[in-house]
Amino acid sequence: MEKQSTLFTGIFGAFIFSCGAMVLLPSSQIGALQPQVTWDEGQNSPSDVYPVKLENALGHRPGQAVYVENGCFYCHTQQVRDPQYGPDMERGWGVRRTVARDHIFQSVPLLGSTRLGPDLTNFGSGTWRNEAADDKKAPAKRDAAWIYKHLYAPKSNFSDSNCPPYPYLFERKDVGGQPSPDAVAVEGNHQIVPTADARNLAKYLLSLNSSHELKESPTVIKPKEAKK
Amino acid sequence: MTTTQHTLLSTSLGTAAPSKQPTKPAASAPSPAKSAAPQQVTQRDIENVERALIDQSARGPVLTFFTTGIFWLLVSVVLGFIASKKLHVPEYHSSHSWMTYGRVWPAYTTALIYGWCSLAGMGVATWLIGRLTRVAIQAPGILQWGAWFWNAGVAAGVITILGGYNSGLEYFEMHPAAKLCMFIGFLLIGVWGLILFRYKRTAAPYISVSYLVAAFLLFPLFFGSAAALGSNTSMTGVMKNVVNAWYQGGLFNLWFGCIGIAAAYYFIPKVINRPVYSYNLANIGFWSWVFLGGLTAMTKLSGGPVPAYLVTISVAASILLIIPIVTLTTNFVRTMKGHTANMAYSPTLRFVFVGTIFFSIAASLNVLSALRSVDSYTHFTPWAHGQVHAMVLGFFSMVMFGAIYYITPRLVGCEWLSRTFIKLHFLGTAYGGATIIALFLISGVFMGFTLNEPAAVEQPSGTAIWNFFNVPQNAGFCNAVKTYIGYFFFGIAQFIFAIHFLFMRLRIGQPAGEPTLFANPGEAH
Repeated sequence: MEKQSTLFTGIFGAFIFSCGAMVLLPSSQIGALQPQVTWDEGQNSPSDVYPVKLENALGHRPGQAVYVENGCFYCHTQQVRDPQYGPDMERGWGVRRTVARDHIFQSVPLLGSTRLGPDLTNFGSGTWRNEAADDKKAPAKRDAAWIYKHLYAPKSNFSDSNCPPYPYLFERKDVGGQPSPDAVAVEGNHQIVPTADARNLAKYLLSLNSSHELKESPTVIKPKEAKK
Repeated sequence: MTTTQHTLLSTSLGTAAPSKQPTKPAASAPSPAKSAAPQQVTQRDIENVERALIDQSARGPVLTFFTTGIFWLLVSVVLGFIASKKLHVPEYHSSHSWMTYGRVWPAYTTALIYGWCSLAGMGVATWLIGRLTRVAIQAPGILQWGAWFWNAGVAAGVITILGGYNSGLEYFEMHPAAKLCMFIGFLLIGVWGLILFRYKRTAAPYISVSYLVAAFLLFPLFFGSAAALGSNTSMTGVMKNVVNAWYQGGLFNLWFGCIGIAAAYYFIPKVINRPVYSYNLANIGFWSWVFLGGLTAMTKLSGGPVPAYLVTISVAASILLIIPIVTLTTNFVRTMKGHTANMAYSPTLRFVFVGTIFFSIAASLNVLSALRSVDSYTHFTPWAHGQVHAMVLGFFSMVMFGAIYYITPRLVGCEWLSRTFIKLHFLGTAYGGATIIALFLISGVFMGFTLNEPAAVEQPSGTAIWNFFNVPQNAGFCNAVKTYIGYFFFGIAQFIFAIHFLFMRLRIGQPAGEPTLFANPGEAH
């Protein structure tokens, strides 16, 4: 009996130690982070708040659900690391490392753990790139139309892409006059246009931007420098 | 050889106290002693009858665990093949939404981890509880119900993942309702399993008991708190990821680790009929494993948006894992010393001992990838998948197969039909599994080198191509070999095993009494 109580106490002790160090301690530290508020002295009101609470009551944009449902986060991470950990910033994925405060309003941050595709933390920032800064083959703009092409036939944007195509996010419709500007393909009287899911997903991807300045994570690469 | 397989190792498993509390005889229990004349009954006969009765009491739930577990094993090898193929043929059946990589991969890991591994583990644990406490399993119906709840939860989880639900948390993707169903199932199994330990009638607890108690106590704590916090809407931000990483440590190290080690500590001494080499080492190994196992998981968040000390703790704990690795490996190898030849005969011993070697490899990979210099080449690559597969395919599944080869004949009343089937199963599992693990690791290192290369590389054609884009080709060859050799042969072996197990359930096999060995001791060697 003596022996058994030692066993139970020891195992519970191990659990409490692990839970305390790995869950409770960090929770007390980053569990209640607030957005960074910059005060405008003259007007006595906040001039700038980051990050901004999302409009949706669910805590995420509708496109994020499409991103999660199709498991995009198994290949695309959403975290930019400090230069000492890897060349994330040199690759053009961000201008500073991401920190806990970037994610405070996300119900489940999609940090990801594998980079079979590029990091998407700042995909919508306008300066995001995934090719050498001077690569002439780089697309002029990664906008919704580019995303639709990527989703429908990834190899049409980049011939070596390893991304699976998502034809089920598109539907066949009659052209009926002028083809839609979003159509990824026109076949006779039919055109392939993105569904509402694909549109939401594109909207979500274009909203991804964590390059706002934060005190605890100074900008390493100036936006101009990243753009050139 | 046949006698060694059947003898209870009384030195290490405690001595019997047959006078206490007669066990309720099961109607169908085979009783070898009946045929013997009463005056010839020896202590050994009594023990044999007792063991047969205890085995019979566990028959219902254990066979349910095994049968449903093997069903999920088949589901997972099919899904695993598809998921692996999607990596080098991304267009493969891409018009079906459920066939996209982002759904097949989590469905595969869920079926593998929660379907096959957990169910097989709970089946082996149930049978071990009966054997280790030397008391018949009381109210096995509770365990049966638990198994069905768990299965319903896994089925709901896998189907909703393929249908498009995902919690966004790796290795924990199931719908909250599926998690609740699994949790209810586990409470029925785990709580009842722990209560059953109270009925014990052995003098000293065997080391396997400690591991089983740890697994049954810790898993619901990890699973329950992770599920509760994961669906908690008031907790937002990276704490979700921190809790998930912490849970993965509990899942792989403490749940699979503890059950697998418990089984290895039971079957290796049992089959070679020799006590464990050192009890002190076993204890050091146990306590260091239980304390460190829950602390190592944050290395997967290194460099991420989490407090740095979390990663530091995990790196330290991972390096300290050397203690349990060395003690466990020493203990298994020294126990086997001079008896390795038995692996030529006993399927159980071959599977379990190779499984323990994979344990040493899997745990050493934990130590290795905690080192900053290694992590910088393996982070964000399939190397992490290789680590998980070394733990669940290499170590845990191998030990479970060995245990199932030992246990099933004692429950169904006949022996395995064909030694060729067992041989093929071993070859496919060991070499197919090793191929899968090795290629995850190798493609991880390949990818790591390219990921670490920021500069554009001048191509022969004169155009600068961003190096990152070369990753798919580098890994493509690895992935093709992984699919067509690794998953293919591993999968074929599992189908052979499933058919073999089905024959056992239908009582198609060799007559009871003589275990099916790879070779009869006289034949070879």
